[in-house]
Amino acid sequence: MSFIVESSNLTKAYGGRTVVDGLDLRIPEGSVYGFLGPNGSGKSTTMKMLLSLIRPTGGEVEVLGQPMNRSTRRQLLGSIGSLIESPPGYAHLTGAENMRIVQRLLGLDDAQVDFAVKTVRMHGQMGKRVREYSLGMKQRLGIAMALARQPKLLILDEPTNGLDPAGIEEIRELLRRLADGGVTVMVSSHLLGEVDKTATVLGILSQGRMIFQGTRADLFSAATPDLLIDCSDPRRAQSMLARAHGARLEDTTVRLAGVDSDEATAGVVTGLVAEGIGVHGVRRDEQTLESVFMGLTAGGGL
Amino acid sequence: MSAIVVNEFARMRHLHVVLLVAVLFAVVTGIGLYAAVFNPDFDRTSASSWNTLLMGMGSGFTLAAPLLLAVVASRLVDAEHQGGGWLMSATSGVTPGGLCRAKLLALGLLVAGATVLVSAAFAAVGLAVGIDAPWPAGRWLGLTACLLVVSLALLALHVVLAARVENQLVGIGLGLLGAVVALISTAVPTWIAHLTPWGYYALSAAAGYVDGQLAGFAPSYLNIGGLSAVAAAIFALFTRSFDRQEV
Repeated sequence: MSFIVESSNLTKAYGGRTVVDGLDLRIPEGSVYGFLGPNGSGKSTTMKMLLSLIRPTGGEVEVLGQPMNRSTRRQLLGSIGSLIESPPGYAHLTGAENMRIVQRLLGLDDAQVDFAVKTVRMHGQMGKRVREYSLGMKQRLGIAMALARQPKLLILDEPTNGLDPAGIEEIRELLRRLADGGVTVMVSSHLLGEVDKTATVLGILSQGRMIFQGTRADLFSAATPDLLIDCSDPRRAQSMLARAHGARLEDTTVRLAGVDSDEATAGVVTGLVAEGIGVHGVRRDEQTLESVFMGLTAGGGL
Repeated sequence: MSAIVVNEFARMRHLHVVLLVAVLFAVVTGIGLYAAVFNPDFDRTSASSWNTLLMGMGSGFTLAAPLLLAVVASRLVDAEHQGGGWLMSATSGVTPGGLCRAKLLALGLLVAGATVLVSAAFAAVGLAVGIDAPWPAGRWLGLTACLLVVSLALLALHVVLAARVENQLVGIGLGLLGAVVALISTAVPTWIAHLTPWGYYALSAAAGYVDGQLAGFAPSYLNIGGLSAVAAAIFALFTRSFDRQEV
């Protein structure tokens, strides 16, 4: 698998406070990389380091196979579209005038600009001044500005922030279309639900550290679901297993955490049977991706 | 002209920057001609008439330029703060320092145009009323160049200040204060005029009253040259630090 972005031990500290801590980011080419983490976990800082807008305290970044730094930045940024923090746009100018500024800056032709504007479905709004745009329209204009250069990599920082459900779905749909067109997309969010349906690869950041990176399936397998036991005397079973496994009683079901192997499961069942408790059901809890994410980020203030 | 500078002219649309520069031209010309023509020493049969016009031109800039330059610089730079322009440009490879340099160049071209037009308007008035004495070309061009240098130095100051301090009232307030300082500098010892950039309008003077008599003299070229060197160095220093600044 080839990676369009690779970082090794990427670190950023302000004074004594480390906000990004030793990230080894791997973004496969052609993927939609969902970059998740609670607010303040270091997502924007990481994205800015990938764009060389801020200097890492330690580590390295390679983008499109080249080291990204101050000397290579100008050339590489021609192939990277980005939307960082709030959507850009000069409020006193029209959408078309804003796009012309980007066009002139990057030496783009009219066809590239038209393509970007049509992709975000803003062609009917380009004569309006940006101050008259809704937040969703501003977001789409910002994405059009990023897309106009026909990037190989698109970095979007919380592009659905502040959007209504219809706007969020529209951005999701746009990301899918871009990925289908061969653009690698890195999209950050503090809400799993926003990227869950579009991301093919997930990276989860918590307090500046990468706590998970891989596919959706990998994420499920990274966290062991609780063991649920139905038995003839749940109260006694719960009290027996409370110390060793933190057993909790939910109606008539005993819930055990941290029983992560078949051997351990068999041991628990054997113990209950030896005490004369009849076991008639043993199963794993069904997990949602949200609960796995919450577990990994320990709540994370989400 | 580079695309970055052309973009600055594009950003000026709907910001009334060109209108403000036209107001600068109109106000400087209006104040200056009023002060010159209504000066008791304005007499088309004597050489002193050119001196009243030179004085009038200097007065017009002294009174009007500090505030208007602050306003045009702050309007253009504020558009970057409001529109997320610093970050947008940085993600296209243009540093904040590069943007500031382009802004100074674009605004500088407008201010240079306005200054030359003011100078030409004053000369045209002198020639139109038929001043008998020959046109003092050297001092005239010298004053025009000195006023332009001082204006550009102030413009550079305001571009840097507006980029640094997001609250544009700070820059405009400083411009207002500058107008007062510029006015006071015409009436204080020369060494005091050297202490602030606005004082250099007074040092640009090519005519003035010496012992109650209107006389012509050369502007303080050396001092104005010193101001331009210091302003250029400070502007370069700040904009380079902006280049290294994390966005």
